[in-house]
Amino acid sequence: MKRMLVTYMTLGYPNLESFYQFIEKSVELGTDILEIGLPPKYAKYDGPVIRKSYKAVTSWLKDYITPLKEVRKKVNIPIIILTYLEDYLSNLDNFLTTLHEIGIDGVLFPDLLIDFIDEYEEYVSKIKGKGVKTVLFTGPSLPDNLIIKASRISDIFLYYGVRPTTGIIIPVSVDSLITRVRNLVQNKLVVGFGLNDFNDLRKALSAGADGVAIGTAFIEEIEKNGIQSALQLVKTIRGILDEYS
Amino acid sequence: MVNKDLIPKYWYNIIPDLPKPLPPPRDPPDAEFSRIELLKKILPREVLRQQFTIERFIKIPEEVRDRYAIIGRPTPLMRAKRLEEYLDTPAKIYFKFEGATPTGSHKINTAIPQAYFAAEEGISHVVTETGAGQWGTAVALAASMYDLSSTIFMVRVSYEQKPMRKTIMELYGGKVYASPTDLTEFGRKILKENPNHPGSLGIAMSEAIEFALNHNFRYLVGSVLDVVLLHQSVIGMEAIAQLDELGEEPDILIGCVGGGSNFGGFTYPFIGAKKGKKYIAVGAAEIPKFSTGKYEYDYPDTAGLLPLVKMITLGKDYVPPPIYAGGLRYHGVAPTLSLLIKEKIVEWREYKEEEIYEAAKIFMKTQGIVPAPESAHAIKAVIDEALKAKTEKERRVIVFNLSGHGLLDLGNYESIRRRVEK
Ligand SMILES: Cc1ncc(COP(=O)(O)O)c(C=O)c1O
Repeated sequence: MKRMLVTYMTLGYPNLESFYQFIEKSVELGTDILEIGLPPKYAKYDGPVIRKSYKAVTSWLKDYITPLKEVRKKVNIPIIILTYLEDYLSNLDNFLTTLHEIGIDGVLFPDLLIDFIDEYEEYVSKIKGKGVKTVLFTGPSLPDNLIIKASRISDIFLYYGVRPTTGIIIPVSVDSLITRVRNLVQNKLVVGFGLNDFNDLRKALSAGADGVAIGTAFIEEIEKNGIQSALQLVKTIRGILDEYS
Repeated sequence: MVNKDLIPKYWYNIIPDLPKPLPPPRDPPDAEFSRIELLKKILPREVLRQQFTIERFIKIPEEVRDRYAIIGRPTPLMRAKRLEEYLDTPAKIYFKFEGATPTGSHKINTAIPQAYFAAEEGISHVVTETGAGQWGTAVALAASMYDLSSTIFMVRVSYEQKPMRKTIMELYGGKVYASPTDLTEFGRKILKENPNHPGSLGIAMSEAIEFALNHNFRYLVGSVLDVVLLHQSVIGMEAIAQLDELGEEPDILIGCVGGGSNFGGFTYPFIGAKKGKKYIAVGAAEIPKFSTGKYEYDYPDTAGLLPLVKMITLGKDYVPPPIYAGGLRYHGVAPTLSLLIKEKIVEWREYKEEEIYEAAKIFMKTQGIVPAPESAHAIKAVIDEALKAKTEKERRVIVFNLSGHGLLDLGNYESIRRRVEK
């Protein structure tokens, strides 16, 4: 089975033109699913790199609808919006309706199972009711029985973040963490958070991940060496994934 | 002769078995620096790995099991027969005696693996804080076991009240300072505001971390974080095996709570294995975290150098009443224990100094052991539950963790006595 490459990018980063270029080319180079980050008020589980990318775009990005429509026109793979539920409590219906109208496939709220654990099932039905898919976000601090439950209702795949925060390479045993949940997850298992070390990436794939989600590594590459270099990284990672098909 | 076979081969982590997700540590909004990133410079690498590689069972390195044997693990599980008789209760009372280790408390159970991991990594010097001195002593011993230097920031009031603790730490080779000190920026800031500041665990913790960062040493953590409660699970794992051997099924499990490490270490293996019907965490009424603390994201240390964790807390700036001598002065409760309390799986009690003083005396009169003032909180709850069993005519099995002995806390008892018996 082909392993999935889930590519994350902050909406409009570093500017609209480069953003579109990165998205479009990354799909040509083998991205299977796009995750697009909408700048939240508090990026609770994001490290300094993604936080900075949010800051970089918020000064000028006033409207997320136009660029999302543009991305939808440009690519035909699934698009998932990543943002924090906390910011949408008062206008969730509107938000979901808008996403649905644009043709966005799904949403991923990293705080859903943590800060809204008592009502998460209601939120999931509400989101699905609006025609938007729900990718559930889990991690090692979730109990096993919840990972089993979440994996059954998560759309497209189940996201498993192996570190507490994106981008910060806290030493963890990626393989042990995946081994712990692999048999609990009755769904495709996509692993993320700090997988920019090829060793870790291979460990994740060997331990049974169906795909990987990569974000910070691309943003860092854009920052340091530009879009072309980031796209080269997409290609390299695609190559590694394909070794495991 | 200690039988090494009875020392558990695995540490137990309760997180995969919790009823709800444990909210992860996080960076504050708009942080100028990432606390999570900073952890890599604060903690030994393997300690950090164990904090975040959350698995139900983690193998205890043989080297660490050997050291556990040297300090006398497994610790005894004793029956408090004379206490039962004194209370005229139908309940059976057992206690796990963590005071049997050379440092006199459970704290050594995590100091040993942390020092071992630091030494393996090539670190030469470890730093920590201490309140009562039990944790500082454990670190000084563990460091000396692995030929590491150690520096201990001791809360000023305790430093003054407990010169003997300082002596032990120094005999083990530790260097001890009264916090707030002028050795760190944070200490100097506190002293500037109040030159007579009595200190607090939160302040001493921040000083220890800053000192470690400034010198590229590493910091050893004594409570609160999951990795510490993981290491302490040897207490509960042994207790389960020891009770099994006696053919006893426990009904009530009781422990005292400072940051929550001896309580978690003792009860979590029982909770995870669904053994026992009631778990009681006991705190001090003078540091009323359970009754008045809030369940929210807060810093474990006063300067805010560690990531925010979600816990029951009195606030990172909390300073305990200076005359109070009963221990358990930390402002927060370990995140896993906070969650279990919020979910009502663990019950809590708070007792006043004079109540725990009476309980300690009853325990000394009947069982002979001088309990640490911290542990006397657990004893008070044990006595209450045993008397309740008597009223209800139930033959319950009560097991508690006697987290430490009080032979170096006689000054505290003297101070309480002066206030209570005047
Ligand atoms: C003997 C003893 N028991 C209990 C505690 C409380 O800490 P914890 O709740 O982490 O076990 C301490 C802390 O110094 C202690 O010395």
